[in-house]
Amino acid sequence: METMRLYLRVMKLSILQQVTYRTALLAGLATNFFFGLLRAAVLLALFQVQPVVNGMTQAEGLTFVAFSQALIAFLFIFGTYDVMNTVYTGSIGADLARPMDLFFYWMARDFGASLVNLVIRGVVLVAVFSVFYPVVMPATIGQWGVGLVSLLLGWGVNYAFRFLVNLTAFWTPDARGIGRAAYTMLMMFSGFLMPMRLYPDWFSRLVALTPFPSTFNTPMEIFMGLLKGPEVIPALITQVGWLVALWLLARVVLRRGLSKLVIQGG
Amino acid sequence: MLRNLGMYFRLVGCDLRSQMTFRLSFWIDLFSTMAVNASMFASLYLVLERFGNIGGWGLGELAFLYGLAETSFGLMDMIFSGFDYDYFSTLVREGRLDQILLRPVPPAVQVMGHRFVLRRVGRILQGAAVLILSFFLVDMFWTPLKVAFLPVVLASQVVAMGALFIAGSTLTIWTIQRVEAINILTYGGVELMSYPASIYPRALRAIFTYILPFFFLSYYPALFFLDKTDPLGLPVWPPFLAPMVAGGMLWLALRFWKFGLKHYQSTGS
Repeated sequence: METMRLYLRVMKLSILQQVTYRTALLAGLATNFFFGLLRAAVLLALFQVQPVVNGMTQAEGLTFVAFSQALIAFLFIFGTYDVMNTVYTGSIGADLARPMDLFFYWMARDFGASLVNLVIRGVVLVAVFSVFYPVVMPATIGQWGVGLVSLLLGWGVNYAFRFLVNLTAFWTPDARGIGRAAYTMLMMFSGFLMPMRLYPDWFSRLVALTPFPSTFNTPMEIFMGLLKGPEVIPALITQVGWLVALWLLARVVLRRGLSKLVIQGG
Repeated sequence: MLRNLGMYFRLVGCDLRSQMTFRLSFWIDLFSTMAVNASMFASLYLVLERFGNIGGWGLGELAFLYGLAETSFGLMDMIFSGFDYDYFSTLVREGRLDQILLRPVPPAVQVMGHRFVLRRVGRILQGAAVLILSFFLVDMFWTPLKVAFLPVVLASQVVAMGALFIAGSTLTIWTIQRVEAINILTYGGVELMSYPASIYPRALRAIFTYILPFFFLSYYPALFFLDKTDPLGLPVWPPFLAPMVAGGMLWLALRFWKFGLKHYQSTGS
């Protein structure tokens, strides 16, 4: 209970910190919107060739584009390098001295920032985008609810993956390069670049074996009702499964890494 | 002029030596940069496996646009690393621009020579590979004019995007912080140039033809190289405007740069 309060405080501080950068928020919003327009043009051209692809309509494709841009900041699509930096600077020592679990400490920090980005960059972007293009929203309250749960689970899977990538800093001084490559995989296999349904079937079936679609593609499909009824349950279970698996893996890797960590004073 | 060029190569040489000190890091960086950019093309390739074309442009033709834009952006990003506004804004913030202004070498030469990020070679190689692949995919009909004009178009794209980097850096003289909105024009510009102009809505097309003439650097030259006819029925000269457009953009950017330096007030830190 006491530790829960600590995590909430960390989250709150992170929210306040994020809200301070208002011009950066606005500039980010403008950039995301512009890229949204460009991606929408490509999607429209594709759907001109074939109006319905794997059960996905043009409006659903456009919704995918809107949300991929809206959630860039929420999901840290371009990756994070904070934890690895604390390994290199040695400030991880101070973080480890806190009465908190390192995994959940950073989770609280990231989630605070994500909440701000969801409200300011996410909601505003979708609203503005919907002036120009159709955006498909959930039809029922239930669908909204399940969609949101899936989005949060997706956030968790994404966070656990980013945390793991950061932990490579214990073993190599080049974790940034590894991170760049890893986050590229995340970008491509999560459905951020293109909805999975538009790729060839052999490819999306292969990618479905990885945790990546759980971060973005699955929440989007549930949100728009592309997955519905009984199809939703296995999708959610897969998400929970990846979240738990990656979290456990992160614990093991962290313990191994810490056992060889040497922090120099001064 | 020659003295400045010599100075430029000396400065770049220093930076290159320091980058090559950590060899393994360099190679990891290079390959990760290549992977990042290759994935974009892979995504396009996979989607085209299903759809066949985007706005009537097939894989080979899109690869030409994409390869050209990627190669030139990579080259630009390497040559103009010093004017990368994220980096340049730190020079302004930390007062290091003061040192540059005090030395008897033109500031633009010094900033260019300040940084030459070699791992961008990854992006250049990847872009060049796609570009060369496109020649075979479209079975390019080469004429002497095309052979001569290709390097001109490439150089024009490099110069035009470099001009945007210079303008973006100049802005930070006033803002101190990096101006993220410039990304719309630079990174957005590459994305924009990677697809045929005809797929974009009319307003976007007008802006990037008449105000920021990106399409004269990619789309119109591509029509010429690929022997495609413009759906809007264009006269024969627009493909050849690329060097003029690039020169004009660079001239404007350098005017703005001089103006900015005249109004530079050190942060004092």
